[in-house]
Amino acid sequence: MTEPAATDRGTIESPAPATATADAAAGPPRAAGPPGVTGSSGVTVHRVSRRDPVPVAAGVAIAVVGALVLAAMNGSYLGLTVTTGVAYAVVTVGMVLQLGYSRQLAFSQSVFMGVGAYGTGVLETKYGFSSLESLLAVIGLAAVAALVIGAVVTRAPGLALALATLLLPLFIYQLATFSSWLGSFSGIDGVLPFWSGPSYESTLVRSGIVSVVLLGLAASIVLRVMRSGIGLQLMAMSSDERLSESIGVSLRQRRLEVFVLGSVLAAVGGAILASAQGLVTPDVLSESAEITLLLMVFVAGRKSVAGAIIGAIVVEYLTTSTSFISTNLGIIEGIVLLLILLVEPDGVAGAVDRLLGRRTDQWATSLRSWSSERLRARGGGNGAGNAAV
Amino acid sequence: MSEFLNLLAAGLTSGAIYGIFGACLAVWFRVSNVLNLAVGDFAMLGAIGSAWLVQTGGLPFGLGIVIVLAGVGLTAWVFDRLVLHVAFDRGVGAHGIVSVFFYTFGLSLVLEGAARALFGTDVYGAPSIWSGPALAIADFHVQRAGVLVIALAVVSGLVLWAYLRFTVSGRAASACGESVIGSRIVGIDSAKFRRRIFIATAVLAALFGIVESPITGYTYMSGPTLSLIGVVAAGFAAFRKPGRAVAAGLVIGVAEAMLGGYVSTSYSDVLLYAILFGIIILRPEVLGLGAEPA
Repeated sequence: MTEPAATDRGTIESPAPATATADAAAGPPRAAGPPGVTGSSGVTVHRVSRRDPVPVAAGVAIAVVGALVLAAMNGSYLGLTVTTGVAYAVVTVGMVLQLGYSRQLAFSQSVFMGVGAYGTGVLETKYGFSSLESLLAVIGLAAVAALVIGAVVTRAPGLALALATLLLPLFIYQLATFSSWLGSFSGIDGVLPFWSGPSYESTLVRSGIVSVVLLGLAASIVLRVMRSGIGLQLMAMSSDERLSESIGVSLRQRRLEVFVLGSVLAAVGGAILASAQGLVTPDVLSESAEITLLLMVFVAGRKSVAGAIIGAIVVEYLTTSTSFISTNLGIIEGIVLLLILLVEPDGVAGAVDRLLGRRTDQWATSLRSWSSERLRARGGGNGAGNAAV
Repeated sequence: MSEFLNLLAAGLTSGAIYGIFGACLAVWFRVSNVLNLAVGDFAMLGAIGSAWLVQTGGLPFGLGIVIVLAGVGLTAWVFDRLVLHVAFDRGVGAHGIVSVFFYTFGLSLVLEGAARALFGTDVYGAPSIWSGPALAIADFHVQRAGVLVIALAVVSGLVLWAYLRFTVSGRAASACGESVIGSRIVGIDSAKFRRRIFIATAVLAALFGIVESPITGYTYMSGPTLSLIGVVAAGFAAFRKPGRAVAAGLVIGVAEAMLGGYVSTSYSDVLLYAILFGIIILRPEVLGLGAEPA
């Protein structure tokens, strides 16, 4: 059997089928065969595949189930709450890749939500763009802005990156509140829905359906990245940057890519939010918006796409409901966050995985195999000891 | 000239606010490698708690201060025992870069929620410790509370700097941040230093909140902004040098006042944060942050 070679993007060139095992010396992850194969040691191992059906299937499932749920709500207030939650979910899905999976400690998501929301508002109310045109425009704008900002901020190591991105919401928020062009404290009113209907209720349902389709697309993209060779490289980076660099991972490039993808998804979330609510206010840029996003990700599960989606919708519901929980939300969120950090750092999704008996470190086995191969190719032995995750 | 001096006085007052929180953050980070994002909430508790005890409870101001400081110290001790001790001494829960921010972030949320439940959404200001009209020298005016704020910040920065630099206890505390295992091998109780300095900085922040609240007033939501500004000031002191954090805070405050006075009142904060952002990105070595903490 020919040993497959890893490309510089972390994918595997050879289509030769093989059995993946949990043994670090058994070779790199193989290209063929479905992900999630039980190896000789009985451990389920996810394998990198170019024809991985899971991301597309997950995206379609999210869109279909979400559309059915919103249709059943028939334009009620709860439907608006869920659509708003979907907007936040698009952002938190990006944060799963950025914060949870890659451990890129950037606090700029609310800023890019603002780029999406204000971009949509300005283009539609001042320049007559349609919803689709403004959505495409803010995606392009956010990508360029993220590239420019990311090119500099991702140079900063660890805490410096966190500090730099902490400053962004501070001055962008103030800029928005003082700018009359952006509507100052009142913001911008009259943002168009994604898809208008004959009544308010039907408009809400239709726009909600477009929103969940966008959420499905976002989840699909993030899952595809996480389950690819690049995903393994990101996991290696989050585990040990020096080790990953020694096996050929381009830290700066990967950091920038993750930053741009997370930022673009945040902008899309902002556009959905503006479209669902019909207006944009500076609140979307405030530090409390960033705090809410962090809670949505950490409480539900910072490494789980499903957790991030459910967390965003549930937290949004709790925030807007008029029950005891919404009144005392801060104290409840704080206690829940502390409990989760202490008991189950992977959040509710991690706890569910554990309850269902699933291994939460199944990707670590693939990473170990892949990094061993990279070290071996560089003349560093089989790397079994060094590549331990 | 008088405009410059008055702007300088205003800048030093607000800079002292940034600096003291930066110093509290820096000294505890040096010991524990954790950023105390609840430091602003401790100040909020000090300010609102003392004001509430005096205005609603009818207690003498001095007694109110003692009760509030004791309450803040107790809160910090309970948090250390219930959370930090479990996480860092028993090795349970999330670690790495997550632990740097999120344990104290959780505490901040709890304190903010508790303050809202206890004190409501009103603006509170403790009585002034040194009451009277603003001090004036020719055209130069400064509030008495402002003088106290600046003095407290400078004294705190100097004391913390001297403690870390010249005392055996301070050097032992620093050793805990360098290596927990190494410090334990040579007999240093890292948990004790982490706990004591956490409580001390919480009480200091609360005291500062009491002294400063006559100037700005506090609500239950004041904490996170103060903590965030403290993080920025501490960042310019490599998160480890309390004396330098106070100096950085004073420089930031003066820069903010000068920008507001001579460039744009509305956009002074925007310009300031943009300049700080530029410095971090273009000259990250200024921060002295080579790598993430272990």
